[in-house]
Order: sequence, then structure tokens, then C-alpha cells
Amino acid sequence: MPRVISNGNELDVDLTEPEIKQIKNLLERDPTITEWGMFDVMHSEHCSYKSSRPKLKLFENAEENYDYVLAGPGQDAGVIDIGDGYALAFRIESHNHPSAIEPYHGAATGIGGIIRDILCMGVRPIALLDPLRFGPLKGNSHSQWLLKYVVKGIADYGNCTGIPTIGGEVEFDKSFENNCLVNVACIGLGTIEDFEHAPSKAYNPGDYIILMGGSTGRDGIHGVTFASRTLTEMSEADRPAVQIGDPFTKKMIIEATLEAIKTGYVRGLKDLGGGGLSCALSELTGDGGTGAKIDMTEIFTREPGMNSFEVMLSESQERMAFIVKPEGLEEVLEVFRKFEMAYAVIGRTDDSKVLEVYNRDKLVVSLPAIALSDAPTIPREEKRPDYLDNLIAQKTPELSIELEEIIYTLIASENICSKEWIYRQYDHEVGVRSVVKCGEGDSGVLRIIGTNKFIAASVGVNSKHCFLDPYEGAKGGLVEICGNVIANGAKPIAMVNCCNFGNPEKPESFYFFSKAVEGMGDLCKALRIPIVGGNVSLYNEDEVTNTLIKPTPVIMIVGLIDGEENIITMPFKNTGDDILLIGNTKAELGGSEYHSVIYDLEGGIPPKVDEEKIKNIWTFIRELYANKFVKANHDVNKGGFIITIAEMCFKNKMGANLDLNNCFDEDLRDDEILFSESVGRFIIETNSKDYKKIMEIAKNFNVNVKRLGVLINKPELVINGLKERVIKLDVNRMKEEFDSTLPNLMEF
Amino acid sequence: MTIKIAVIQFPGSNCDLDTIHVLNNVIGVEANLIWHNHFKESNYDGCILPGGFSFGDYWRAGIIAAYSPALEEARKMLKDGRPIIGICNGFQILTEAEFLPGALLKNDSLKFICKWVNIKVENNTTVCTNKMKVGDVLSIPIAHAEGRYYTDKLKELEENNQIVFRYSTENGEIIKEANPNGSMENIAGVCNLEQNCLGLMPHPERASESILSPKKTIHGTIFFESMIEFIKGRSISAKSN
Repeated sequence: MPRVISNGNELDVDLTEPEIKQIKNLLERDPTITEWGMFDVMHSEHCSYKSSRPKLKLFENAEENYDYVLAGPGQDAGVIDIGDGYALAFRIESHNHPSAIEPYHGAATGIGGIIRDILCMGVRPIALLDPLRFGPLKGNSHSQWLLKYVVKGIADYGNCTGIPTIGGEVEFDKSFENNCLVNVACIGLGTIEDFEHAPSKAYNPGDYIILMGGSTGRDGIHGVTFASRTLTEMSEADRPAVQIGDPFTKKMIIEATLEAIKTGYVRGLKDLGGGGLSCALSELTGDGGTGAKIDMTEIFTREPGMNSFEVMLSESQERMAFIVKPEGLEEVLEVFRKFEMAYAVIGRTDDSKVLEVYNRDKLVVSLPAIALSDAPTIPREEKRPDYLDNLIAQKTPELSIELEEIIYTLIASENICSKEWIYRQYDHEVGVRSVVKCGEGDSGVLRIIGTNKFIAASVGVNSKHCFLDPYEGAKGGLVEICGNVIANGAKPIAMVNCCNFGNPEKPESFYFFSKAVEGMGDLCKALRIPIVGGNVSLYNEDEVTNTLIKPTPVIMIVGLIDGEENIITMPFKNTGDDILLIGNTKAELGGSEYHSVIYDLEGGIPPKVDEEKIKNIWTFIRELYANKFVKANHDVNKGGFIITIAEMCFKNKMGANLDLNNCFDEDLRDDEILFSESVGRFIIETNSKDYKKIMEIAKNFNVNVKRLGVLINKPELVINGLKERVIKLDVNRMKEEFDSTLPNLMEF
Repeated sequence: MTIKIAVIQFPGSNCDLDTIHVLNNVIGVEANLIWHNHFKESNYDGCILPGGFSFGDYWRAGIIAAYSPALEEARKMLKDGRPIIGICNGFQILTEAEFLPGALLKNDSLKFICKWVNIKVENNTTVCTNKMKVGDVLSIPIAHAEGRYYTDKLKELEENNQIVFRYSTENGEIIKEANPNGSMENIAGVCNLEQNCLGLMPHPERASESILSPKKTIHGTIFFESMIEFIKGRSISAKSN
């Protein structure tokens, strides 16, 4: 790590020598130590996306290509117009490194940060979703400790701020054991007017700059540079770089900010997150084409004697920067006083295009605003790891275990089992919007009060699939998460992603990121889904054990449902109804739960996405919905369709008689039929009198639909037509296995 | 007569807007959101202390709000018999302010619990149960970390008929399995001696619209409608006096 020296002060920076040279050339002088610190933060991977930006350019421009996209990538959150005068904002972000070191505060401040991102779009945060990844829990107290406190951190923070946690996803895999992944997503709702009142830039010279909320302390200094390194044995010593959350203050900031916006005098708004004041002020002025003069002594600090370096780089939580019209200053301050929020008028914008910070009358920072917010990019090399070929060539062992035993084991496995232990701790109903609640469907469904519209949201990806083939795996993730909202009756309308990958300086790590981005970009374009935002978390490697995380491009999809009658739910409903499988089942067991749980195998042939087939399936399902043919729908995911059917049986204690004769390719093995994780499939329940009409529509759209059997009023799954023999499963036992795994592992 | 109800917004309340929504749009009564130190009792026929985490609940839940000027105003309402309702955090505030007996301790699981439960009506003469029958079972959600009811005056409460709701099974059995948080005698809600002040941990405002409810019930509306009935009854008896 290079060391810079200014006026006798020394600082180790995460900048490269060319970057250091470039900065000196730009300024035509040596920066002060505070300025070095600001460059260090703003040029960190976390703030500048210097490795990832060239690849992210592959995503099509959402604002240009979709008329309902109001804000796209590069803003604090993506914003879309959902009609009736409403704007929906959403974003997903990672808080991996802090959570790996200090799970409770790491996760809590992750929630805090994502709430601020939504709030600074001028809208009210109305829902949270949390995709989480840990090492396997069984026999591993470290993984149990991480899960327990990450969940508690999310619950304590989300519950207190009154924002329901409506969904999420958990994956367990050895590669996440030390470098767990904690991604947090938030959705906000407001009127289009609210959104237009709060751009994240200071475009008008002469406005006041107000800092509101928590005090500025010495916590979290250089949190982003910490997040832009791999985890090492020294990482424990970085614990002070993890911020401490205060959900009560956050709740007050939400109310005070929304009320301040209603005055009409707020002209710009920005949260203080990674990089603290440095980041917020340089982005506000840099993006707005203005400059600013800041009086550092006005900033209220948690302790006396903080120097300009500490003040400018502090990442203390719960702070917002407001740009306020001069004539409305008093009215905005009055709102802050009502909510008893601390605030300080710290400066004014001007047309200098320079950010100047004074400590009393001493100028400590004087930088062209654009220099900070426009970091150079670094081209990275990529190379496909040779070991992938061997992995993909791995064969499924001969079937030697009873299929019943395999199914009972799968449904109890950590990745498939019920996540109720987690979501019971989240208030998922506050806000009185939650229509399809945690555990009841593939996605969380919220109503938009005052309209007959509903939004469905889901997050996730299959990291095992992405490991074997990041391009197809990322596409498969997109298909699956879209499938989740489609299963609840929604049309997917926009996507954001959170890319969790390893060290970009290693070509074999960067390969996964590069291919996953290409996969998401290509398929989104083909399916006409705008990518309205994203977050990139690189350096997810544990150097102590030399472990690279499985590539994890988490995808979040928001969908729209028109009318309450069009909401579809997961549980099977009526005896005698047909069970239909939609989509093609192939010998794709690579990265499956079956391989991993039963044989401890990571390899095999992973699922591939056929874009045309997926498009046809989606149109076909919409057609069935329009005809009111579908009584229940659940997308096929981990463990294969047999797990999907079991989950649909649980709620109403039903069962099924299945006959798989003539439903699958002749050359598929029994385990390939049952446990393949081919993507884009659905299990639906329909009335048998509609079967003929459904098959006609299927023919029109060239979609593969197979009647697997009928529902029975008895908790029993009977499967005929396999090569081996008839198998029988007790649904009650499956439910017990499904429900008991997490409590058994976590309550002791 | 026009009825006006105040929903008190403490710093950290988070079910305030939900309660306002249900009163205004579902029940159809005028309800105003009032910042805690702006509240003046004389303008209102009743008040509701909503759920949330007042002042962050970093110390004992509800204790700081119990010292808010809003509670001094509410005390005047308490004395002249107007309704004062505490839901979840509001219940915690009312016990801390000693409007209601007992205390709410950490759940026996030591965890926050969000789920739909059943509660059985034990007393149907109170401010919020007068349109129910004793033995009715309501489907309603809870969402709290500190909801385990405790009192050292159990016998007194039972004798005075102050236990209004108990956690039960769907069929109304009061058994341990139906108790989500370890509350003493499955107690979910209590009232004062005069029955115009009532607190409960479950959220009636989340159980007032069929679209939100797993069994499509709207039992929460009976709770609020009873409150309106109580206010109307008071005005009639005031006139006849």
C-alpha cells in the first residue's frame, strides 16, 4: 500500500502509483492530508466502481429506452413510474465485510444505509428484502453466530423504523463461511411530485447546505476502503471501521425528511453513507455542476477535537445533507425542530465548481468537485478458470439410495427448508400493505393503498449455478426471480442487482463478474426489463483460508399486478384439480441441491436458458391468467419440481397422485426427472375441465405442458411412472422435516 | 354528532399512519394524527396510542413516552371517562404511565415475534369490546419483542373483570400452546376498573381489512366500532343527564 506525505503527516492509501501521479497533476500541487483521505475514499472500489464501470456500461440505458423509468443507474436508487401518479424507488446494496466482522451492527447499518438511499429519492421506504449467504450451519458455531446476529440486526433496525421486511433469500455454502454475504434491498413509494422535489444534486448556486441527523463521530472512518479489500487475519482489527446503527434516529430522519420535502423548499437531498461528507458533498456539487464553501466548525461532532480529516471522512450513521432554497431555510429548519433533530447550516453552494472546506479561517480542502466524483476506471483482465471444465464433467453417481430418503433429506436441507425461524423475527406487516406475506408465496406482494394496484418483489440467485457457468447462471437467476413475481400474478417491470464477487485484480475472479454482467445485460435486453440500478461488491475473498466466494449476482425484480382478483398464491386448493408442469426438464443437475446434499458434489452440467422458450412460457402464463385458469402457481427452484409440489401441498394439508409416464424425455434418469433444476419452469393448479383449452393455448405458444397428476384430499404423494418403482411420500412428515431444520440448528 | 379521535404520534411511533388509515378509510370516523407535545385533549372524544418503538425503546419499552405531556392530557380524558386505547407500544406506555395495571416483559423466546394469533374475548362491556360476545375468538396479528404480560395483582384483575383478551386456540381453548410470548394466564389485553382505558398487544388495525387477513376476517373493525359505540353511548347518557 503506497504511503503519501503532506506537511509531515503520513497516510497509507489504497491508490495506485498512476492514480497518485494523476491526482498531483490535476491539482498541480501536493494534496493536503485531508484531501488525500478524500481521494482515497472516493477512488475506492466501493465508491468509484473503478473496476466494474467498464463492464456495467454493457447494460442498456434504462432511462433512454423505457419511458416509465424516471431514474436509472448512477442515482441513489432506481425510480419507475407505476401509474396513478405514483413513483416506486428501489435499490439493493451489499454490507458484506462489516457483517462478516460484526454481524449485528454490520447488518443493521446495512439496513440503515439502504433506507437512506431510498429516502433521498424523496419517497417513503415501505419494504425491505434481504438476500443472505452463510456457511453451512450444521456443526458450525461460527455460521450459526453470523446468522443469528445478522437476522437480529436486520430485525431490530427494520422493525424499529416501521418498515416491513417482506422477503428475502438465504443460501448456505462453504464458500461463504468467513465472507458471508449480507445484501439489503429497500422499496420506496411516493408521488411523482415527491420524487421530482428531491434530486441528488445541488444545481443552483446560492442554496444553503444543511446537515441533519446524527452527530459526526470517529466511527466508520475509512469503512469503504475496508470494504474494498479482501478479508485477512488483520480484518478483526478493522472492527472500529464498522458503524453503529441508531434506528430510532433513522425513524425520525425519515419523518423529518419527508415533512421537509413537503414544504417545497428542498432543492436537493443526499444521504451520508460510504465516504461520509466527502462523498455526499462532492457528488452533490459534482453532479450539479456547482461548487460549495463549507465551514467545518459548524458541523456538530460527537467529541471535541476532531480534525478535518476525521470530520470529512467519518461514516457516522443517520445523517442527511439537504440543499435548501434560501427563502425557505427557516421553514425547513422549523420542521427539523419539531422532530427535535439536530441540524447545522454548514455552507452554501456557489458557481465556482470547487469544493472548499474551511476550518475556522484555514482552508483545508480545495478540490474541483468533479475530480472526486469522477474517478478513473481501471481495465481488468479476465480468464476462465481451467478447473471449471473438470467440474462440469463430473457425473451423477449411480442411484443407490431410496428416492424417498433422498426427498426427505432434500426437503430438510438448509437451502430448501422453511425460513420461518428467520421471518418470524421480522415485522412483515407494519404499513398495512402486505397482502402476500413471508412464506406464503414466491414473492412479497404489497398493495398500493388508494389504487387497485399491487407490487410484487423478489430477490435472489443460485450461486452454485453461477459458479459453474456465470453467464448462464446469471441469466437463470434473472429467469427465476422474474418467475417468482410471475407466479404471484405480476408482470416483471424493472430490475436492480447486487454483484458480489471476488478480487477484481485476479483475472480468474474477474471472469465471473464479467460473464455474469454480460448474462444479465443480454437477457434483460431480450426480455425488455430495464436495469434501473445496482451495486457492486468486489474483494469477497477470505485470504486466511484462500477461499473465493461463489459468484453471486443477486437480482431483485419488481412486478406489477393490476387488480386484487389477479393475485395468484402458492398453496394447492381443490381436490381433483390438475397439477401441470410448465417448461422443459433437462438433465441439468450441475450445481443442484441433489448433487450437493446427497453426494457433496459441486459440479455437473448447470442449467442453460433458452430465451425464446422463456418468452413463450411467460406469454402463455399471462394468457392462462387472463382466462382465470390458474388456481395456484409456484416456480420450480432448488431441489426440482417434486419439492415444489410438496411445498404447495403443505398449507391445506393436501396430497397428489402423480403419473409421470410420457411426461419426460425417455433417456432421463429418475433422479434427473425429479431433481433437475432446469430454469423457467412452473407448477400450476388448474381445473381438469379446462385442460383441453389449456393444451390448445400451449400448442399456440409452443410451450411444453405436462399433466403430472391430480390433487387428493389426503396428505400423501404417490409417484407412478418412474423407471424404478412407485414411490410414496408422507406429506406430514415432509412438512415436519421442512419446518424443523432451522429451529433445531439455531435453538439450543 | 361528529366524533373526533386523536392518534398520538410519539417520536418512534410506527403504526400511527396505519391506525389513521383504518379509522378514516375503513371505519369512516374522523381521526387526526397529533404530534405528542401538540396534543390538546379538549378537541377529542377519545385517543389512541399506536404501536411502534417510542423514543426507540432503547430502555424499557414505553417508559420515556409515559412522561410525555400527551399523557398528562390523556389523564384528563381518563378521569372524565373518555376512551384511551393503547395498541402494542401504546399498551406498554399505558402500563408504564400506570393507566393500566401490570407490565410487559420480554417475550419468553427472547425474540421479536410477528404472526397471526387468536384471542378470546373475556369481557364484552369495555370500551372496545361492547359489540362482541364473551367467548368470541378474534383472528389478529402480533408483532412485538416485549409483550409478555405480568402482574402481581392477578386475583384482583380477575375479580374486577379487567382481563379483556386472552391468547387462545382457534376454538377458544386457553392453553399454553396458544400463548405466543409466555404472558401470564395467556393475557393479551386488559382494561382499567372503569373500562374506558384498554391496552392490548395484538394489532386490530392490521386485522380490519379482509385483503390483509389470512382467513379473510375483519375482526379488528369490531374493536374500533365498539370504541365509536362507546363514545356515542357516552354522549347519549350525557344528554339524558
